[in-house]
Amino acid sequence: MSTPVFFISLVLGVHIVAVNIGIALATIIPFLKRKADITKNEGLESVSHSLFRIYAGTYALAGVMGTAFTVFLLSFYPEFIGVAGNITLVPFGISIISILLHFFAIVAYWYGWNNFSPRLHQAIGWLLMITAYTIPLGFRAVFAFLNTPYGLILKEKPMLDIIRALLNPTFLPLYLKSIVGAITAGFLFIAGVISFKAMKSGQNNVERDLYISSLRYASIGLFAMMFLGPWYTLALVNVPVKFNNIFSSLGASLQAPTLSNYSWLFVVKMILVILQGILLIKLLIPAGQNHFYDTPSGYRASILAAVLAALTILTGEYLNAFSQYPFFVANAPLIVDKLPEPYKTILGRALNMENISLLAQDPLLYAVTLVGIFLLLLAAGYMIYFVFLKKEK
Amino acid sequence: MDLLSQWLSYPAAIDRILSIIGIELHWIILQYVLGLPLVILIALLIHKVSKNNSWLKLARASSKALGIIFAVGAASGTASEFGLVVIWPNVLEAAGRYIYFPLYMEIFAFLIEIIFIYLLIFGWNKLSVNGKIVVAFLALFGAWFSASMIVSVNSYMVAPTGIAPAFSQQSGWLYDKGFPKVLLIVPKDMVNALDIVKLQSLGMDIIGPMGEGVAVYMPSKVVARLAAEAWSGKTIQESVLTAVIKPEVLPGLNKVLVKDLVDAILVKTVRTVGYTSVAFQSPVYLGSILHAFGAALVVTGFTISGAYALLLMLTKRNSEYYRNCLKFGILFSLVAIAVQGTLIGHMIGEEIATYNPEKLAAMEGTSNSVINIPRALGIEGLMKIIIYGNPNANLPDYDSIPADYCSLSGIPAISDCRPPIIIHYIYYLKIGISILLGLIALVSVVLIYMKRNLGFLLYLIAISPVVAQLVSFLGWGTREMGRKPWTIYGIMTVDVAHTANPASPAGYAIIATIFIGILIGLIYSIYRLLFIPSVRGEE
Repeated sequence: MSTPVFFISLVLGVHIVAVNIGIALATIIPFLKRKADITKNEGLESVSHSLFRIYAGTYALAGVMGTAFTVFLLSFYPEFIGVAGNITLVPFGISIISILLHFFAIVAYWYGWNNFSPRLHQAIGWLLMITAYTIPLGFRAVFAFLNTPYGLILKEKPMLDIIRALLNPTFLPLYLKSIVGAITAGFLFIAGVISFKAMKSGQNNVERDLYISSLRYASIGLFAMMFLGPWYTLALVNVPVKFNNIFSSLGASLQAPTLSNYSWLFVVKMILVILQGILLIKLLIPAGQNHFYDTPSGYRASILAAVLAALTILTGEYLNAFSQYPFFVANAPLIVDKLPEPYKTILGRALNMENISLLAQDPLLYAVTLVGIFLLLLAAGYMIYFVFLKKEK
Repeated sequence: MDLLSQWLSYPAAIDRILSIIGIELHWIILQYVLGLPLVILIALLIHKVSKNNSWLKLARASSKALGIIFAVGAASGTASEFGLVVIWPNVLEAAGRYIYFPLYMEIFAFLIEIIFIYLLIFGWNKLSVNGKIVVAFLALFGAWFSASMIVSVNSYMVAPTGIAPAFSQQSGWLYDKGFPKVLLIVPKDMVNALDIVKLQSLGMDIIGPMGEGVAVYMPSKVVARLAAEAWSGKTIQESVLTAVIKPEVLPGLNKVLVKDLVDAILVKTVRTVGYTSVAFQSPVYLGSILHAFGAALVVTGFTISGAYALLLMLTKRNSEYYRNCLKFGILFSLVAIAVQGTLIGHMIGEEIATYNPEKLAAMEGTSNSVINIPRALGIEGLMKIIIYGNPNANLPDYDSIPADYCSLSGIPAISDCRPPIIIHYIYYLKIGISILLGLIALVSVVLIYMKRNLGFLLYLIAISPVVAQLVSFLGWGTREMGRKPWTIYGIMTVDVAHTANPASPAGYAIIATIFIGILIGLIYSIYRLLFIPSVRGEE
């Protein structure tokens, strides 16, 4: 793996985990707040407010890492950005507008808490929730395109048939799998946060109810993933090189070359999923009169499940990305040679991740980047500790 | 002349309008992200020395405002970034390949900003005064570091490193000699393949060997044509280059993409100049970055003045806190606008006069087809002194700019290469309002220090934030609109920078409406969350 790919993977990994947890929190918090308003439950309101504080933090992290991801792509692969920019206005447009509205909703929801009328605040909450789903809608449409370029028209200029692009067979399963995975991980994250608090300073009834509900919803999500995962796998029949890179070592292959072997990453991901399943079963199915989830070991198991969920997201995203490495478009090895000139030449190199921009191949730049990222993540960690954990004097 | 039609006649009019809306929204916000950390820092320092809580309250109120604004700014920045990628992908590709370093470093600046701005806001109650001062300084550093990086790229677009303008005081316009030109380093093996005599007949000047190549001044019309061919996927056999490549080597190069040849020249040029410094060496960078900081501080100063003037009027509470903050805001504004108008404004003006003579001609309205404001006011000589230090200097004549100086044999397809002369009125409107703002600040400071009532001036101060934002917008409009039809002056025209697949006007209208809605929402949020509680006396 080249150094630029390492940087891109690093920031993408942090970004994806934060975004996934964010999707779940952006969904759950407006519901909790509404329930708190209706039942006049101050405890629930306090919990939802605390969760929103965490959400703002995760979104800030996701935003910075997302920006870093884009700028790294632009710096190391400018020609790819040029090609992609020319044809992806609509899917990116959906995401851009959603990001803008989502950020605004975060600000308005946070500062409007107890300042705006309940009706206005609630409306902003729904905006927050809806845009949490429309942001990945655009991005996953692009990712599906990067599996196989459905809708790409190469005439005098490159164009995209939007309807056909949205009918990409990998789009819907990828999107739904991402969303359900995010919600599952998000519920486990909430259960983990409450468990952490319970171990440090106990938990009240509201937190306990939310903790148990989170575990239950997470188990439903994990169950749904048992169907969505295979659906995406079946859709990958349309992306045979990627399919082979993931499954050929496991005995399943299609009529296409196998360019790399990422079966091990798939196996790691499956192990992580199975471990989560085991932990959730142990947590939720009562053994005798005591509930495991109410015990210190149960709290530790919940935290472990949350960590495993985050790692599952990470491995899933890396599996999806690396199983097409070094190509930006997974089907590129099958289609580029058949393209007319000049697209054959331009796309042949623009879609190859080993073709790093000449001016961005400086070891000193890489060293500075590594040190800079390390120091700033350290500073971010200190900020999180200072803001969330350090007590006021 | 129909001024608006001329501006709209350049390619991608709707895309340019959407970009104005999106980037202006971002710029409105950014000015506070640049200005408020300095206000917070100064207020905290005064509080530390004086122990007067007014200053701590000013710092707290400013940090709350900064929190709201920064969050929306981060969103509008992301939207602008993606907007540039999908509407102007080719200029982004070029920037990413040749002048990416400042954009790359901006990631770190953004991280510094986000960490320390949020540490300041959410850690306020846990930080000591000294801690707040340190964090405010780091937040300021992050914001200004970020601006320094982004403005370098914009400066490169205004006047790229190595640009040789087409005007001199002694000779007037130099279009007949092939100017404007761009200094480029052509790889030696490529030079050997070129017919130098033919290139010289097109206006190319050979300077001599430099590094591993040969330095040449290439006419912008040739550069622009090559950029157009490069980004439309042309091969050398379809290019104007067939006329200047030696016949014996041409067959071997026919299938080569023009983009590859252009890339080889630009990579060699940037490597010779230095990839970390090429954008910062733009001849207008220093003036541009100082001017951006100045604009941010002027807007921030007047916004603080306006907010406390409104609070004084609406609450009828003549508190020490309000009076101190108003006094601070007015003095801050006066210093900022005085330095901006006299020193920095003059610096950027001289840079533009030297490196963007076409834009200067449009700004000064040196055309017989428009009413010239300095002439009408009888201050032509004064303007020449300000620009060139000489009342008898020659201003570049707009009407003498060839309409086709940016294209070679009709490529790129620009029908009028002259900058839009509407910027003459935009620029003078900006100057006029700026002078009024400066006078308001000056008279207010005098009255405050004479301990006299501000009276009607208080109303003017209350609306001054909007006026200051308008001035900033007009200045930015002059800079950006005045560069058209170029996207990168002397190198890439707006049609080449533009996406091959623009959205429909209806799609753009929806996006623009959302941008404007966000701005209205931001203003409403500030009003509800900061202003109303202040009027109630809660803050």
